[in-house]
Amino acid sequence: MNNKNRLLIFTALAVYGFLYLPLLIVVVYSFNDSKLNAEWVGFSLKWYDKLFHNNEILSAAGNSLIIAGISALVATVLGTLAGMAMYQYRLKVLPGLVLAPIAMPDILMGVSLLLFFIMLNMSLGLISIILAHITFCIGFVALSVQARMSGIDRSLTEAARDLGANPWQCFRMITLPLLAPGILAGALMAFTLSIDDFVVTFFVAGVGSSTLPLQIYSMVKIAVTPEVNAISTLLMLLTLILITLVARLSPGALRS
Amino acid sequence: MISKSWQQRLLTLPPLGYLLVLFAIPTLIMLFASFRYTGEYGGLAPWYAYKDGGLTLELTLENWQRLFETDIYLRLFVKSIGYAVFTTLLCILLGYPLALMIARSPRKHRDLLLLLVILPFWSNFLVRIYAWMILLSPNGAVTQLINSIRDVFGLAPVSLMYSASAVIICLVYVHLPFMVLPLYANLEKHSSALLDAAQDLGANRWRRFWNITWPLSLPGVYAGSILVFIPVLGMFAIPDLLGGTDGVMIANVIKQQFVESRDWPFGSVLSMVLTAAAVLVVLLGAKFGRQGGR
Amino acid sequence: MKKLLASVLLMTLAPLAMAVEQLHLFIWNDYIAKQTVEDFEKSCNCKLVQGYFTSTEEMMAKLLAGASGYDVVVPTQNAVQALAKQGFLSALDKGKLANFKNSDPAFLKRSYDPANTFSVPYAFTTSLIGYNEQQLKKLGISPDNWSTIFDPKVLEKLRGKITVLDDADELFAAALKYLGYSVNDRDEKHLRQAQQVIIKAKPYWAAFNSSSYIKELAVGNIWVAHGYSSDMVQAKNDAKAAGRNFSIGYALPKQGAVLALDNMVIPKDSKNKALAHQFINFMLDGKNAAALTNEMGAGNPNRAAAKFINAEIKQQKAIFPDTATLTRLETIEATDARQRRLLSKLWTEIKIK
Repeated sequence: MNNKNRLLIFTALAVYGFLYLPLLIVVVYSFNDSKLNAEWVGFSLKWYDKLFHNNEILSAAGNSLIIAGISALVATVLGTLAGMAMYQYRLKVLPGLVLAPIAMPDILMGVSLLLFFIMLNMSLGLISIILAHITFCIGFVALSVQARMSGIDRSLTEAARDLGANPWQCFRMITLPLLAPGILAGALMAFTLSIDDFVVTFFVAGVGSSTLPLQIYSMVKIAVTPEVNAISTLLMLLTLILITLVARLSPGALRS
Repeated sequence: MISKSWQQRLLTLPPLGYLLVLFAIPTLIMLFASFRYTGEYGGLAPWYAYKDGGLTLELTLENWQRLFETDIYLRLFVKSIGYAVFTTLLCILLGYPLALMIARSPRKHRDLLLLLVILPFWSNFLVRIYAWMILLSPNGAVTQLINSIRDVFGLAPVSLMYSASAVIICLVYVHLPFMVLPLYANLEKHSSALLDAAQDLGANRWRRFWNITWPLSLPGVYAGSILVFIPVLGMFAIPDLLGGTDGVMIANVIKQQFVESRDWPFGSVLSMVLTAAAVLVVLLGAKFGRQGGR
Repeated sequence: MKKLLASVLLMTLAPLAMAVEQLHLFIWNDYIAKQTVEDFEKSCNCKLVQGYFTSTEEMMAKLLAGASGYDVVVPTQNAVQALAKQGFLSALDKGKLANFKNSDPAFLKRSYDPANTFSVPYAFTTSLIGYNEQQLKKLGISPDNWSTIFDPKVLEKLRGKITVLDDADELFAAALKYLGYSVNDRDEKHLRQAQQVIIKAKPYWAAFNSSSYIKELAVGNIWVAHGYSSDMVQAKNDAKAAGRNFSIGYALPKQGAVLALDNMVIPKDSKNKALAHQFINFMLDGKNAAALTNEMGAGNPNRAAAKFINAEIKQQKAIFPDTATLTRLETIEATDARQRRLLSKLWTEIKIK
């Protein structure tokens, strides 16, 4: 191990520290025996107990996971196609259409989609939320995939073609594995954006289709109570478990 | 054998179709709304009316004119862009070493390390911001740490909560993974053979970094910068919660139009200008980047 | 894995599967006691599904865009006026509201709905000043005056220890009251005066804050907060429960203040008006109404509730204003597009000054 590596690792660890510092507060205070989230009073599991008796919040968490899972999946497929297309061809319309939803303020997107859905006479619920989330996630995946593609050796696919592989085989055997880290990064971003979105969801959610952020915002008028910390901690764990399971069940799906 | 144009259509049409329907059409609705009048109690007034037996259009340019009546919106745009540029630079500074470290670590650890970057962001946005409010409050750990360091140099203690520094810290925190992930995706593919060759030729570490790694990673830096720069422009919650009395950014005013003032047409005007400006900046950046690269 | 997925699915679909009658309520967050919800669900053999909003504006934005499906909404008075004029509301059938007689006449027949055609009072809050009793005593500041948040001479002693509501309507109302005008004064000259008052005071404030001042007060980070009465009750209780060496008080400024009267209304497109009436009648019952005050610290416009309310809360004038106090309180009236535009411009100017 040389100096450069040590400096690099030290900086990276410091950045991890920066990422986890507030998280430590979230997790620790979820076990705090005080409503105020301000100083440590004593250890307690009461917020978790309270949480498990709160059906509203549990079903909202279930909704959030379903919405984030489906939105991330669809956005990843569409975003990957868009990213590949943007890199391979000189397109006029698509790059702008991919960028603009990232640039559009959430509120405008929420209001415009709400007006659009109502114009179509579509009932508001999980479907309208998923459609909206996919819209703002595509760009993140596309840019990530595009950044991965640039510099990938075209000669590889050309060589495969020369050896008689059809375009699908080419894509499946060569392009896709090469793109995997970009797709994985994009999928993670899409999942994160979806599971955390409040503004757009507020507008396009219908009666009775609450998500966790909506539920949490309704609870934080009196600052964040430890119950919110508890559900955040659990959601993080649950997501981690789900993703690990998916990775285990389909080896290679998440492999770089 | 699929012809080239078919392949292009196969790649382009699904995302294009989706975004045309679920993004372009709703946006056109709002663009149209920017020429309409507000309803008496908010929302939108009807855009046509029957007067004297004939159909008249009830459309106006006044919402766009309001943009130029005062310079406050321009000043807010400039201020917001300043915040966004600063946040993006800090994200590159913090995100690059992290992405590089993950990309250079053993293959079997990479996915886990990457997952660890994004894991904190599956909690909840508000919960994270409130955790920062605890850390930055006068008795919070970060404030105390910074003030004890300042004390060593004989500087007076500072209050971090409700300040521009608090806003920047949280903006960087919230957007950091959107820099790290695309950067990692790009850095991961750099072959070490190239670096080894450079080493054999006697290039030192910094020269290897600046001459090989950095130029090759520019597409990743570019993608990450877009994913940080643009969302920061649209952020209103962080300035609202942490900015104190001077924290307001352009997105706060946009939110104010849609929510407090119920002035959708003017809110649409501001949003359209913000979106167009952001897309323009990015596309121009791409053009210069491409030319510079040649 | 499959089991986990199944249970997640079950959790989400359970409400659908049961297929019981549902009442969709669109209400301020944390504005109905859990016990009351359970009691109602038992009494009607139905399910109460709540949607929440955190500001009148949010709720209006969503309803104005055409979102539908709610059976009962709980808007503040100016929103009632706006919604009624837009034809969003369905007239109440008083024949189905036996408990309507419990409503305190002082809160009925107000200008926003002169015959209570569309609305019945639910609860109210006042906008006032919450403060750290020990700190203000030490500084010799009397909190029952808007000068506490607007007069630079007073603010000199409070620099950085004070927050005000991040709400143009509320802050302008307070400034107008400080200047001796009505909270509904829409004269541009007077509004500009109020704007100047705010701009002069702004450098002394720590933040515009509508969300976390309860905690900041209860923790001791700030000493004075402009906010809602029910929140101040919460802050007082929190500080007490945490065993602080200070206590939180609240006072109505003597110049007068804003009264926000929340009402129950039924949207025109409600699919279950009978159940909606049943719910409103249930909430007008003295015992159920009292829970709002005991648990949320909200003011109560229900006479039958009095005997169920904790004695300690009943003595608080800021929550239970007597007739003399009540005359100093004003409700904010609905504004038209032009007025809102002016207010928004003045507000943006304040924010970037």
